[in-house]
Amino acid sequence: MRPGGALARIPVSVVIAILFFIICALLVPRFASFGNLENVARIAAILAIVSCGQAVVLILGGIEFSFGSSVALASVVSVMLLPAAGPALAFAAGIATVVLVGLVNATLIAALGLPAVVVTLGTLMIGHGLAASLAGGLPLDAAASPLFKWPAVGEVFGVPVAVVCAGAALACLWFILSRTELGRRFYLVGANAPAARLSGIGVRATTFAGYLIAGVFCGIASVILTSRVGSGQPNLMSDLPFQTIAACAIGGIPLTGGRGSALHVLAGVAVIAMLNNAVVLLNFPVAAQQLLIAFVIVASVLAQKLASSSLAVLLGLRWRSEP
Amino acid sequence: MNELADQVPDDGERNSMTKDSRTAAVRARSVAKSFGATKALRAVDLDLMPGEVHALLGGNGAGKTTLVKILLGAMRPDKGTIEVAGAPADFRSVRDAISAGIFPIYQHLSQFPDLTVRENLAAFSLGMAKGLFAPRAMPSDAVMQGWLGDVGLPVSLDALCRELSTGEMQLLEIARASAQDARVLVLDEPTAALTHTESEVLLATIDTLRRKGTAILFISHKLDEVVAIADRITVIRDGHCAIAGAPAAQLSAPEIVLAMVGKDVQPITRISPHAGEVVAQISGLRMRPEAKPVEFSVARGEIVGLAGIIGSGADQIACAIAGGIRPLSGGVHIGGHTIPAGQRKAAVAAGIGFVPTDRHADGVFNILGVVHNTSAASLSSNVRWGLVNTGGEHMAAHDILQRIGLHPFRMDYEAANFSGGNQQKLVVARNLLIDGLNLLVMSEPTRGVDVAARRAIHEIVLEASEAGVAVIVASSDIDELLSICHRILVVQNHEIKGAFERGADRQHVIGALAGAAA
Repeated sequence: MRPGGALARIPVSVVIAILFFIICALLVPRFASFGNLENVARIAAILAIVSCGQAVVLILGGIEFSFGSSVALASVVSVMLLPAAGPALAFAAGIATVVLVGLVNATLIAALGLPAVVVTLGTLMIGHGLAASLAGGLPLDAAASPLFKWPAVGEVFGVPVAVVCAGAALACLWFILSRTELGRRFYLVGANAPAARLSGIGVRATTFAGYLIAGVFCGIASVILTSRVGSGQPNLMSDLPFQTIAACAIGGIPLTGGRGSALHVLAGVAVIAMLNNAVVLLNFPVAAQQLLIAFVIVASVLAQKLASSSLAVLLGLRWRSEP
Repeated sequence: MNELADQVPDDGERNSMTKDSRTAAVRARSVAKSFGATKALRAVDLDLMPGEVHALLGGNGAGKTTLVKILLGAMRPDKGTIEVAGAPADFRSVRDAISAGIFPIYQHLSQFPDLTVRENLAAFSLGMAKGLFAPRAMPSDAVMQGWLGDVGLPVSLDALCRELSTGEMQLLEIARASAQDARVLVLDEPTAALTHTESEVLLATIDTLRRKGTAILFISHKLDEVVAIADRITVIRDGHCAIAGAPAAQLSAPEIVLAMVGKDVQPITRISPHAGEVVAQISGLRMRPEAKPVEFSVARGEIVGLAGIIGSGADQIACAIAGGIRPLSGGVHIGGHTIPAGQRKAAVAAGIGFVPTDRHADGVFNILGVVHNTSAASLSSNVRWGLVNTGGEHMAAHDILQRIGLHPFRMDYEAANFSGGNQQKLVVARNLLIDGLNLLVMSEPTRGVDVAARRAIHEIVLEASEAGVAVIVASSDIDELLSICHRILVVQNHEIKGAFERGADRQHVIGALAGAAA
């Protein structure tokens, strides 16, 4: 979308991610081995899938916090239903739970016009409350069966199921955003909602669809997560909303809406995953990991801000409006 | 302010103040201010003399608000100077301007409704104290009563502020300012929310303050009021002074309106007669409970102008016709169908295009590309099974933008990269692409647009009308309407007050706009 050649259309974050990969490969022992990279991808898969949902909501100019409890609620529901319903139905119920949370968000935000921050913080807390009361305060253990463990440990043609799902999620996101009418509406509404309305676009219906789709992405991630931890946990990955927002921000999706793509999500998730992996390989203490990630978030957002203004103009990649 | 009292001229001298050598209370010289590519003020001069009421007029987007904000310290000019009583001033905040004796008078903003009149009067003194703990003597009740007496406000010091009427609150606000030895009072639309009697009291108070030597900047759209109270008048249009401090006694209402709306460009003379077959019927449309309903029809290929100065409601009527806002009653019928009121989506489906008044807020998708901007209202014609045919979309946008003359012709730019006129071309082009376009409604289609883009937009509107589209243009720009319309309807107070056929005398239309005729 930005003026300039094909080069200018590559997100700055992709360049950052590639540079980051090269630096890690040169400086961190064992980083560039195939086994390690597969491990990085496996761990990053869940973040990638949920970040796809967060990206849709951010492009719409909204924000989604309820991911932080809906995966936990899904794990509790799945594990509780597992003995009676079997793994397939239990997972389906987990997905349905998360989609239901998305539906509640969509209704309150799109139909009633409530602010997204308040609504999704509300559903975040409701989800935690429900998960805790259903589980009785303690993690529920699941009876491990091959099918139940398959999303976490299974492979398709030698590729982990989680990684396949993440790839499929990113492909779906790319397709929705760049090829479908709905995706186009996400951009129009996020870029200027009043102008979208006056162009005859159903702003409410579009917003509704966005939060629902975010719920579907998160629902799929909840299956992999539940399978991986093998239990129903009321506090499962409660920092997920912040991680996904961080991934999108590093990827270069602004919180002001109207911009973003699957490529941005991929770059942001990759940076976070590589960083996490590198600090573990380097035996950094846990506290240092968090500090480093925080630093990288701010630094990469700053780098993109600079790149989109001065640097790009200097390089002639971006055209300045006439005075 | 007291030392000026002996210099206050009597009524006979008031109008000759322009050439007076006395020091201006506030003097703005060549003030310019831009927002991005938009030049809000190009080079504006304004002298506010002690003891005069200076009216400031101008349409929306003319630059009037920007100038007021600069004088009040809420904004800093890019170029030009401000002098207060002969000394250069550089306001960095509203507080700086107040310290220099320039007081804004708002209607509701700056009072504490749950405090008494006494507390409100004292609060202002506290707010202007130099330090948090600086000692400040509370003015005595007698002093405060004197302040209220000066502005003719007969209320008790113990009255709660929320119990005052709007007019009384405004007088209290003025009392507060004049108690601080205000050099200049800036009144922005002071009578907009007042009853007739309250307005008269306020105008009498303004007259008293003038006699005491206070300079008053009076911003109003009510021409009769302006003519009645102002000593001098400045009209701003397109960031310039269309009238620069001319004595009010030498100006007529039509002359003032002309300065607000006029534009000197070559008018378009080619205009094809329309077929006469009615496309859209507007009936019973009412935006205000007290207004007469708006009734008119537009024929295939006809261009109808809704002429109205700012505040007339012409833009709102246009927006309601296009389904952008819901009118109190009535609506639009196209081909025997009633278009659901206030539903833009249904209006687009019925082939009604809309170019909104505020291009930045409601028109352009600044951060999106040219193609996305142009195709936004016609997505459905390039969608099959929910998928966008991006090739067809690009081609349609390319063709229409070539016809309208987008400059620079770059399909890969974002809308923000273009000048205001070319952004407006994107918005117009978007509406021309609507499938089965029957009626194109435009509100102020060429406001803030350069002459070339204005011409290009007029040409494309004529082209559309020749292709059979009915067009409604709401505008405060009288020359625009005279140039492209078959028929002009004059709007005042949300009602149609007069109708002119093409070729009508310009002076007559301007007279009707000013309320002198029709």
